[in-house]
Amino acid sequence: MKKLELVCPAGTPAALRAAVDSGADTVYLGFRDATNARNFPGLNFSRPELEQGIEYARSKGAHIYLAINTFPTAGDPEPWHKAVDDGAALGVDAVILADIGMLDYAAQNHPDLRRHLSVQASASNPEAINFYQDAFDVKRVVLPRVLTVPEIKALHKEISVETEVFVFGGLCVMAEGRCSLSSYVTGQSPNTNGVCSPACDVRYEDEDDGSMVSRLGDFTINAFAPGEAAGYPTLCKGRFVANGETSYLFEDPVSLNAASMLSELQEAGVTALKIEGRQRGKAYIAEVVSSFRKSVDGMESGAEVENDLTQVAEGQRKTAGAYQKTWR
Amino acid sequence: MNNTLVMGPVLFNWKPEDWRDFYFRIADEADVDEVFVGEAVCSKRTPFLDPFIPDVVERLVAADKKVVLSTLALIMNTREMNNVRDITASGDEDILVEANDVSATALLKGQPHAIGPYVNIYNEGTRDYFARNGATSICLPVELDLNAIGALAKDSPVPLEVMVFGRLPLAISARCYHARAHKLHKDGCQYICAEDPDGLDVQTLNGEPFLAVNGVQTMSHAYSDLSASVSDLQDLGINRFRLSPHANVDMVAVAQLYREVANGAIDAQEAHARLSGWMDGAAFCNGYIKGENGHTFSDAQ
Amino acid sequence: MFPSNGKPPPLSPVLLAGIAARPVSPRLLQPVLDHVMKLLGKQHPDLFERLSCLSDPTFLIDPIDLPVVFHLDANPERTYLEVSRSIERPAAAVIRGPLMTLLDLLEGRMDGDALFFSRALAIEGDTEAVVALRNAVDDSGIDLRGDVLASFGPFAKPAHRVLGMGGRIYTRMSRDLDMLKAALQQPQPKGPQA
Repeated sequence: MKKLELVCPAGTPAALRAAVDSGADTVYLGFRDATNARNFPGLNFSRPELEQGIEYARSKGAHIYLAINTFPTAGDPEPWHKAVDDGAALGVDAVILADIGMLDYAAQNHPDLRRHLSVQASASNPEAINFYQDAFDVKRVVLPRVLTVPEIKALHKEISVETEVFVFGGLCVMAEGRCSLSSYVTGQSPNTNGVCSPACDVRYEDEDDGSMVSRLGDFTINAFAPGEAAGYPTLCKGRFVANGETSYLFEDPVSLNAASMLSELQEAGVTALKIEGRQRGKAYIAEVVSSFRKSVDGMESGAEVENDLTQVAEGQRKTAGAYQKTWR
Repeated sequence: MNNTLVMGPVLFNWKPEDWRDFYFRIADEADVDEVFVGEAVCSKRTPFLDPFIPDVVERLVAADKKVVLSTLALIMNTREMNNVRDITASGDEDILVEANDVSATALLKGQPHAIGPYVNIYNEGTRDYFARNGATSICLPVELDLNAIGALAKDSPVPLEVMVFGRLPLAISARCYHARAHKLHKDGCQYICAEDPDGLDVQTLNGEPFLAVNGVQTMSHAYSDLSASVSDLQDLGINRFRLSPHANVDMVAVAQLYREVANGAIDAQEAHARLSGWMDGAAFCNGYIKGENGHTFSDAQ
Repeated sequence: MFPSNGKPPPLSPVLLAGIAARPVSPRLLQPVLDHVMKLLGKQHPDLFERLSCLSDPTFLIDPIDLPVVFHLDANPERTYLEVSRSIERPAAAVIRGPLMTLLDLLEGRMDGDALFFSRALAIEGDTEAVVALRNAVDDSGIDLRGDVLASFGPFAKPAHRVLGMGGRIYTRMSRDLDMLKAALQQPQPKGPQA
């Protein structure tokens, strides 16, 4: 079986170098604007930074994928088209796209530029995946984080493109690219602005009793007792009240960690493993990438290497997420 | 100008007999042009509705309503895929199928079909692709504002539709939050979502009304009411208006109300006042269309 | 990592850091900070470019175990970092935490998200500004000892006596910090989990 490809995030040139130096086969990144789904303040790459990043990655035998995975604004597709054009001109190894209009544009204008389907396209079944392959010659699909391992295995019997799956990091609990919760609360959405629960709408408020409240826009997302580990108020990760009961209704403050399932994923037919976290620091990148490098290398010798990445995990707890059916 | 009023699919888990009676009444009494029938949210509900679908379709067709069969928005396994394959294969020129996932658009390629608000059509490039693929109507995603809708409506080769009434479908998931709220899993959900025919209200820790849960779907707590924007939409060339069914209001009356708004027979403030009167205590929203936070409401036109 | 009432536990290494830093008067430290900012502007122009997305890039950085606070203005026209004993002017955002944690964050050794999840850092005000600062700083590869202290070192020419004095103080702080860091890397009890 072919060795699994390790696809790692970078939000800055420093993070890119950290990822490559820690053993990433591929680094994925985006331009510093709304064309990518991690459009966070102070993050992402200018054109010259991408050029240098490609050079650095090449010198160490690593690849660069450019994420252009938001949905272009009606009446203003230019920034998105230019992102594809520039990525092609600079020589990225693939573009990661979500929008059908963009796939069409890239296939027409840059037929030789390798196209991957972003998780934001939420292609969760064979008919959808085969459509993207037939219509736009997509070479790889990043699977949405809604499928169990047996479902991934069954899916592979009906498709012939490569798949890439998330193995670590923040976990969208909704089908990706099909969630408007953020814009309902803040006006800004992952699909159009490339942000979820944007920092400009986040407030942390200390209460008199030492507890802390996190708010997003006009809504309280969570409250933490003194000393309790606190999360960023991503709105699906908050504590809410339904039927008179308070709970983490959508998802507990946990990170995905599928390190113990790498062999299963490989047997299911997966080609590449993806680490989430372009918005995280280079220390996180280095730690997580090294850990997964060891795990993937360990698979060669038949030794499954468990990692302990609890400290960098959100809420400092981990989950196998949707890969296990009980998550549903 | 011809306005097409569309009754969207029932998104909630109503008792099958109630579901059937709702559609019978729409057939007999509601001033709507098109009626969408079928499960879009959760595949576990479909076996209960299937036996009633032929009667419902027959009654609607007999009442001169155009019937469209809805399909699932999120398809994750072979059973769900086959369900959508069956429905897309059963559509014909008289009874179209609504695609709510890209997979269904692929299955419907080359034949007339509708596209629902769960397929991401944010720009002209995607719109044109689906028009070439055979789409004869496209219901736009709920988070678009008038600027985006205007740009999409300009020179559109396919009629566009905007949802103007009902709780907004905001997200869909593999996980069932209705089950989770009752400490159950999706596999053993006991169809608990049937307890809330308009969705389960979700509040913040401070008691602020926030969202509503409908099985695997997450909706707005507030009810979208775009009556104040109908004439703006008409000016942009939008003539298809979707009403999303609810149990806590008479949808025949809601349809009549929007017909009058679309015909310019009543103004938007009057329409909103009537709607508020029928839905005691309900919160409303129309922020998206004005380019604001989706949950906000303003009655300025 | 620390109780959230903002007070370090008695006799902790952090308290020692506070003691070590106490003799540093803001008046003496200011020339050092001016020098640091000049150096940053020269060596890490990207840092300020990454913050250009903010309309008000002003920060109050409050090491809870030191008797001083830092005012940072990252506006390209008037970049400054000022130390004072009290909060003298409003800032768009406040970042509060133990000195060692703040230094680790500054030098990119620790992940800002991870630190915040553990509540070692507290953030008030404009969260977007904090996120932008963290991202910018993380990329810049600031190395206090390598870049900044080297410029104060035996081979660097101190501009004048005060700067030299500040440099000596900084060197002493650096040595103390190394010691404290070693102490901090010992296993520690974790805070309660969610």
